[in-house]
Amino acid sequence: MLKKLDEYRYIVPKSFREGMKVEGLIYANDQLIQAIEKDQTLMQVANVATLPGLVGRSLAMPDAHQGYGFAIGGVAASDMQTGIVSAGGVGFDINCGVRLLASDFLLDEVRPKLDALLDQMFRDIPCGAGKKGIIGLSYEQLDQVLENGAHWAVRNGYGRDADLQHIEETGKISHADFNAVSKHAKERGRDQLGTLGSGNHFAEVQYVEEIFDEEAAKVFGLSLNQVVVLIHTGSRGLGHQVCTDYLETMQDAMRRYKIQVVDRQLACVPIQSPEGQNYLKAMAAAANFAFANRQMITHWVREAFARVLGTGNLHLVYDVTHNIAKEEVHKVHGEMKRVLVHRKGATRAFPKHRPEVPKDYYEVGQPVLIPGSMGTCSYILVGTEKAMEETFGSSCHGAGRAKSRHAAKMEISAQQLIRELKEKGIHVRGASKSGLSEENPNAYKDVSQVVEVVHNAGIAKKVAKLIPIGVIKG
Amino acid sequence: MKEGFHIIEHPADIGIEACGNSLKDVFEFTALGLISVIVEPTTVDPIEQRFVRLVASDAENLLVKWLSEVLYLYDGQNFLMADVSIEHISTNELEAVITGEPVNERKHEFKLDVKAITYHQLKVVQEKENWLVRVFLDI
Repeated sequence: MLKKLDEYRYIVPKSFREGMKVEGLIYANDQLIQAIEKDQTLMQVANVATLPGLVGRSLAMPDAHQGYGFAIGGVAASDMQTGIVSAGGVGFDINCGVRLLASDFLLDEVRPKLDALLDQMFRDIPCGAGKKGIIGLSYEQLDQVLENGAHWAVRNGYGRDADLQHIEETGKISHADFNAVSKHAKERGRDQLGTLGSGNHFAEVQYVEEIFDEEAAKVFGLSLNQVVVLIHTGSRGLGHQVCTDYLETMQDAMRRYKIQVVDRQLACVPIQSPEGQNYLKAMAAAANFAFANRQMITHWVREAFARVLGTGNLHLVYDVTHNIAKEEVHKVHGEMKRVLVHRKGATRAFPKHRPEVPKDYYEVGQPVLIPGSMGTCSYILVGTEKAMEETFGSSCHGAGRAKSRHAAKMEISAQQLIRELKEKGIHVRGASKSGLSEENPNAYKDVSQVVEVVHNAGIAKKVAKLIPIGVIKG
Repeated sequence: MKEGFHIIEHPADIGIEACGNSLKDVFEFTALGLISVIVEPTTVDPIEQRFVRLVASDAENLLVKWLSEVLYLYDGQNFLMADVSIEHISTNELEAVITGEPVNERKHEFKLDVKAITYHQLKVVQEKENWLVRVFLDI
């Protein structure tokens, strides 16, 4: 059924399932495609291809695995005038994303004080299940966060103006409207701003082990043996509730718009409908909450560096979102079109000379941040023209899970995992013992293989490889 | 399947399956299953009450709304469920009394944050004498 196009691409033909309006396209090598075929990823790519108003293809990145409705690692674009928006196509963790901070320190300078640094970060960054933030917000303040995102955080002393230029959308999606966010969602988010959460969210201290693209690395401010910090978290309970609320709204509204979907989790409405517009406003508000969240954690990382190492002068390399729907202009069948790109576990990967790319990166392109699983390497890539042609300017977002939490937990105890990682020079602080073993690196696909596929297929190019030395886990 | 609930696997997340003699039983079991994913249930005591009333389009929608409400009570109201009694239920409405207590970080042993309740492979069915439920949680 699956048609191999070349070494790194597979077509899911329209004959794969009834009702497919467009083809599916999967990026994978021989080994990764086997993992993808094991679960329901292919069917989910095909299911997405049945949605009304889709343009181009229903895409899956090499880290794709079975999700809810959309596969994680899925990308789909719909026509702004005639297409749909799907809350499930963005996912529950709206603007879950990754941020990279680069320090002025070298590995040798940080190693001797690593434990003190991790202890300080673990104390200062609220993390783990059930953990509330250290700042309580009034509802008026929360509304300000929802409208202004990372700008609110910087105005309130969490970071610098310069940070904002290196965040996707400058850390503030302007069409956000707090009135589109329910009271339930606000109640879930009010005391969770500035928290890491649990599951696969983390803050890692890493160093630059290898550079593949000297020019881009230099422009991004990265050099060999430099210590960096990678932060992975999202919009917390607020974003989760926004998705829950609008799944409900969309299911009701679909009947009126005579839309039928093959999986309830794919509930969708026309983009231009009142429900579609309200969702996009609420989604943007939740995305802004996530930008502010990562901005506040950045501030605490800088404070921890300052306290333990003397200076906290970490510059923000970039902040990318990997769960979002965005209005963008792309070439479809030779014609420039306004489309809504759903990225569910996928990263925007725009090339040089795009207006969305920060001024100082304009000649090289947008940084693409790909975290590995705990204890393995991460990668920095740069967006390409080929991604614009093939994937609506998108690339992969991480390693992608291969084993269930239960299977991962059965494989290794938390103590053993901590010991093994320490032998490899990686120190861990975790809020939950079971949470640690559930995130054991063997539960994930090999991030290097995922990145090789993306690099060789040309939808992003490798810039640098990062190796962890310290992990803060929720 | 035995009466009660058990936790099932999903490549990324966690599911709950429940079996009972009535819709009331399976809805109660599934809510207890959800709480057991979030917190060690033996650390939560039934001290205060909350009342829940929900209307839905069908039994599956009702289950998602019901579990989303239990999750919201915890995540939005800082109230953890220890026990539940569903007073009235049909396939599209429900009234329940939830007993539990406010979140206390020093007392309650938390396990995992649950992001949301999904419709993925959702099942609320009656087979012969029994009601069966299957639901996946986004972690």
